[in-house]
Amino acid sequence: MKSYKELPNDAGSNIIGQVTAQANRLQKRLVSVKHTVAIVSGKGGVGKSALTANLATALTLNGNTVGGVDADINGPTLAKMMGVRNAELAYTPTGVNPAITTLGTKLISMDLLLAADDAPVLWNAHTQKDAFTWRSTMEVGALREFIADTEWGTLDYLLLDLPPGTDRLPNVVELIPNLGGVIIVTIPSEVSQLIVKKSVTMAQLLNVPIIGVVENMASYVCQHCGKEESLFSTEESPETAFQQVVLGKIPFDPRLARCSDNGTPYVAEYSDSLASKALMQVAQKIQRFFDKL
Amino acid sequence: MKFLCRDCDTAMKFKDVTRPEQGSVTAVFECPDCFTEIAMFLNPWETQMLKSLDLQLGGTNEAAQPMQMVRSQLETAKSDSVSNVAASETDASETAEGGKCPFTSVISEAFEEKPEPEPTGPVWTAAALERLERIPSFVRPMAKMGIESFAKENGHPEITGEVMDAARGNFPAQF
Repeated sequence: MKSYKELPNDAGSNIIGQVTAQANRLQKRLVSVKHTVAIVSGKGGVGKSALTANLATALTLNGNTVGGVDADINGPTLAKMMGVRNAELAYTPTGVNPAITTLGTKLISMDLLLAADDAPVLWNAHTQKDAFTWRSTMEVGALREFIADTEWGTLDYLLLDLPPGTDRLPNVVELIPNLGGVIIVTIPSEVSQLIVKKSVTMAQLLNVPIIGVVENMASYVCQHCGKEESLFSTEESPETAFQQVVLGKIPFDPRLARCSDNGTPYVAEYSDSLASKALMQVAQKIQRFFDKL
Repeated sequence: MKFLCRDCDTAMKFKDVTRPEQGSVTAVFECPDCFTEIAMFLNPWETQMLKSLDLQLGGTNEAAQPMQMVRSQLETAKSDSVSNVAASETDASETAEGGKCPFTSVISEAFEEKPEPEPTGPVWTAAALERLERIPSFVRPMAKMGIESFAKENGHPEITGEVMDAARGNFPAQF
């Protein structure tokens, strides 16, 4: 009796061919993208999305063509933060035209496809019971389509805002084996450092270049007296904790949160603020990282 | 996955696939030498796994449509989430009805459930129906199906508020 390897194909479904075609579609789209950057953190609530929105804006203000992928399929926030929630995605035979911010940054997000503010992501299925076996696969498939099927045009930077969790980066690397690099976001708390160290290790295990660490909410500047105070009490600096390049320490600014809620670009609106200057410096360091390659 | 006709020692070939019934897909394979056919039944999990990978049993010659998996499988999508800028270039029949986008019906055809026969299951009381109407529209079909399925499985000929309460744990929507 013949063995598995002796049979010529999979009875006609050509599953490998279908998977290869999906991968090729994605790679073909990325040909016109110079640098792909994932913004990651094992920890939730450290400001990844706000940072992504502002870095995308900062890079755009520096004269780059920039796209953003809201890779948080179940908790998409970038469309709101970047002021394009009401954008209508337009289909063309070769892709879907993304939302475009007032400054010209392109964005794709699940938020642009959902029926209502309170609509969760639910996938068509015979039953939602025991959905854990396939839901994460759906999410990776959605991310693949977001990257592969959006009409990005020529981009200098494509930023991917990942949901929290150290398990997310491997999914992205599976889709984009030549990922340009990761930016790891933390806040100055021991709890955050504990989890974010795992993200550093994961990036190293996957051989993904670490562009650097951004310490968000590094301090608080009093808007009345201008005095800078610590928000958290960790003793270990990010340089020591992660043994990585620290791209910047972003002070907490309530106006940044308001801009995120209003969908206005903070780095453009408050360009003289300490946080804006720090964000612009991070953007410049990202550019220098890729210029050196 | 490969299939071998043991009598002929020949690789079987894909012949046909049905649309899902109760979540299960049936794929038929045939021996090219003796024409023996076998049927492979996928359980709902396996069917869903194929859908989530955007793979088609029997292969496909169709070019992939942009975001076809998301646009055809997202249950909570807004109806006009993606407009068709090339509508004039497409067949009017594609945009005529059904689906969440002009291509949904084409894309998801292979995985669409067969039309259900006339309902023979539990009957909804007026009060239960009124309560069903209060469930957000985008999850209502799923909730309805879940409640009916629960009622059938638990031998309730009539769906009342009490049955709805009992079924609540079966799906994510609150009502």
